[in-house]
Amino acid sequence: MKIKDDNYMKWFRLIAFVVILLTTLVCLFPFLLIISASFTQNESIIKDGYNLIPTVFSLEGYQTVFRFPKQVLQAYGVTTIVTIIGTTLGLFFMTMAGYVLQRKDFKYRNFFSFMIYFTTLFGGGLVPWYIMMTKYLKLTDTLTVLIFPGLMTPFLIILMKNFIRSAVPDEVIESAKIDGANDFTIYSRIVLQLSMPGIATVGLFLALQYWNDWFTSSLFINDPSKYQLQYYLYNVINAMSFIAQMGAGTGVSIGDMPTESTKMAMSVVVTGPILFLYPFVQRYFVKGLTIGAVKG
Amino acid sequence: MKKSAVKAVSALLSVFLFITVLAACSSNGNNAPANATKAPTNATNAPETEGATNEGGGTKLGIDISKPVELQFYMLGDAPKDLDFIQAEINKMAKEDLNATVNFNYTTWTDWDQKYKLLLGSGQQVDLIFTAEWTQYQSYAKKGAFQPLDELLPVAAPKLNEFVPADMWEAVKIDGQIYTVPATYKEYVTNGFVWREDLREKYNLPKPVDIETFEQYLEGIKKNEPNMTPLSMNSDVKTNLMDVFTSIAHKPIGALPYGVGVDYETPGEVYSYWGSDEHKEDLITMKRWQDNGYMVKNVLAVKDTLQDQITSGKAAAILGDNPTRYNDTVINLQAAHPDWKLGYYPYPLTNGIATPVHPIHNGYAIPVSSKNAERALAFYEKMVTDERYNLLTQYGVEGKNYEVVDGYYSLIGDANSNGFPREAMNGWAWRNPDFMLFDKNYDGVKAIFDELDKIQVPDKFTGFAEDYTSYQAEKAALEQVEKQYLYPLNAGLVKDVEEGLNTFMEKAKQAGLEKIQEEYKQQWLQYVQEQGIQ
Repeated sequence: MKIKDDNYMKWFRLIAFVVILLTTLVCLFPFLLIISASFTQNESIIKDGYNLIPTVFSLEGYQTVFRFPKQVLQAYGVTTIVTIIGTTLGLFFMTMAGYVLQRKDFKYRNFFSFMIYFTTLFGGGLVPWYIMMTKYLKLTDTLTVLIFPGLMTPFLIILMKNFIRSAVPDEVIESAKIDGANDFTIYSRIVLQLSMPGIATVGLFLALQYWNDWFTSSLFINDPSKYQLQYYLYNVINAMSFIAQMGAGTGVSIGDMPTESTKMAMSVVVTGPILFLYPFVQRYFVKGLTIGAVKG
Repeated sequence: MKKSAVKAVSALLSVFLFITVLAACSSNGNNAPANATKAPTNATNAPETEGATNEGGGTKLGIDISKPVELQFYMLGDAPKDLDFIQAEINKMAKEDLNATVNFNYTTWTDWDQKYKLLLGSGQQVDLIFTAEWTQYQSYAKKGAFQPLDELLPVAAPKLNEFVPADMWEAVKIDGQIYTVPATYKEYVTNGFVWREDLREKYNLPKPVDIETFEQYLEGIKKNEPNMTPLSMNSDVKTNLMDVFTSIAHKPIGALPYGVGVDYETPGEVYSYWGSDEHKEDLITMKRWQDNGYMVKNVLAVKDTLQDQITSGKAAAILGDNPTRYNDTVINLQAAHPDWKLGYYPYPLTNGIATPVHPIHNGYAIPVSSKNAERALAFYEKMVTDERYNLLTQYGVEGKNYEVVDGYYSLIGDANSNGFPREAMNGWAWRNPDFMLFDKNYDGVKAIFDELDKIQVPDKFTGFAEDYTSYQAEKAALEQVEKQYLYPLNAGLVKDVEEGLNTFMEKAKQAGLEKIQEEYKQQWLQYVQEQGIQ
């Protein structure tokens, strides 16, 4: 019986490992292709297509991305600041909102939950939003405009609320109250500690959202020194293809732009840093996925 | 009772706290960056303090300039690096001449069309904005997005009013009124064959002057250079292949939508090009090109630009490209492969249709949201007719950004180190032929333009403003059908052309092709009649 079990497990493990290994390779393959293409000469990409090992090695893609190193670094700075401040503030607000909304003694919790939920279904649309930001709040060309819209994402609030509800039993809150803790102490000392997996998940979502954002820059930022990284790079590509399309050149050539390799180099530059976030958050992430299951 | 009241109060309080924290955060954030922005905010403050000292500066003007204003100037594209400096210089002069300062804003090329819509639709202050047929000038003007300039022009900008020829003012009129100031520089964006001259010489192939000789050239390349694709093409087989092909194979008045056909010689006669024998024959030619291997099989998946395919040596010819872009390709090629050569033959020399760009192609309008229309127009006059303004905004600072060598423009340093390359502010609209400086490389384009000048004929098509409100739904449906059924035909990928064409026509008719064509025809004929086009 025991031997059989062991044998069975061995085979199971072996097959599982092989399957996972293959899947990993499949997932990794496009990324390797991007990295390889970013080091390939543009001409060679157009002529020979993509290869796992660069046919003609060249750094021209990266040279184009870092053509104006000051601007790229500035954009990096803006994105980093926005991501850090936005995620910190956003987490603070959303955990508070989630905590309050799941407290059973908060009489209007359903009303407020509904109001938050309502905005995900019905919104004013782009133009009113634009007018609100530019005309009434006058947030054009400020860092605030990059942070502000993401602070209270309805979906993440609802997620947070449910996390807290499942992670923190009412009884704990009640007993804390009996011990003399006030609402804020309960929030900071108990709720926050117990819902770490939830916070990690929401934090990751939020950080990704801020990191990948380019649309707000595109709408509200005119000053190139406040462009977010994604927008700055996206814009480089757009300008390149537009100039090529328009034939607006007037004799002074901007040089043959290595479009393909630049795109790839950009992807590498952009995804690199955020990739490092995953290992740190991952262990909470796994816990977060199982927490509901254990409770049943 | 009491307990729940306390609870309600504390709940309310926490809500307040929440709101104040939010508010505080937003106002704090507001202050910090405001200090950080250098030029624009300073510019707003300056006129208020200095305004009083500068009265009656421009007595010649027919407009009231006693109050200082700040103009919001909008252009598409990216701002050049040295813009702050140029703006400060311009503001010094504008302050003196017009008691105005200007803020140059750029939309960047990312989602510029959406931003353009928002700028005109949101009611924020915009005093001057770029217009062109590809920014939908005609339909915006029709919808009333711009202020009519007829009465303003003689008052606020008399010099500009005279500078622009009367026929150009006439040409940009929409419903009888002027809404934009057109650019007066004449250029051609007509197409022409582009081919590898070195290969043509090597294999002794005919010089492409029409479709027949072009096809012989492609065939020669296919035979002698098996590793090359003869024709450079990409997935946009509508604009890059069919529109160009018909413009040399036949004599259409322009790239008409919805398969409507109008000959240049007979603007009053409208027929359906789609489904006609002419159309079928063209598609059979496309199929032949595809079958003979002149185009790659997966052409509908190719995203590279036509020019990139030439400079990388992948392809050997472009069906049609305009003189300026051809010139750019030549310059790029010289840098990468000095031993390769390109040849060019403009279509107009074959078909006689040498149309300079329509005045609508580059212009500046004053949106309705502007409160300083007079000053804006007066400032724009300065940009065009005053050499100091014009040279500064087109070429930057002489000695720092550029120098003039033997009458030619010469960039100092290269495009990466120079903060203001030629026409870096995208000032296509305020080009003034009297002050324009050209790079030596541009001589090739000028030579082509000179040749085309001799056989110049007017553009009869671009002034037409289509109003598709009555068939918007059909239009969207038809575009879908076109992509699905016509593109493969264009690329020569359908085995049986006749059957494929029949299927396409059937689907197009279901989508409402006949209604669209009928409406379009009516609008077009009305336009032809009103403008007296023959």
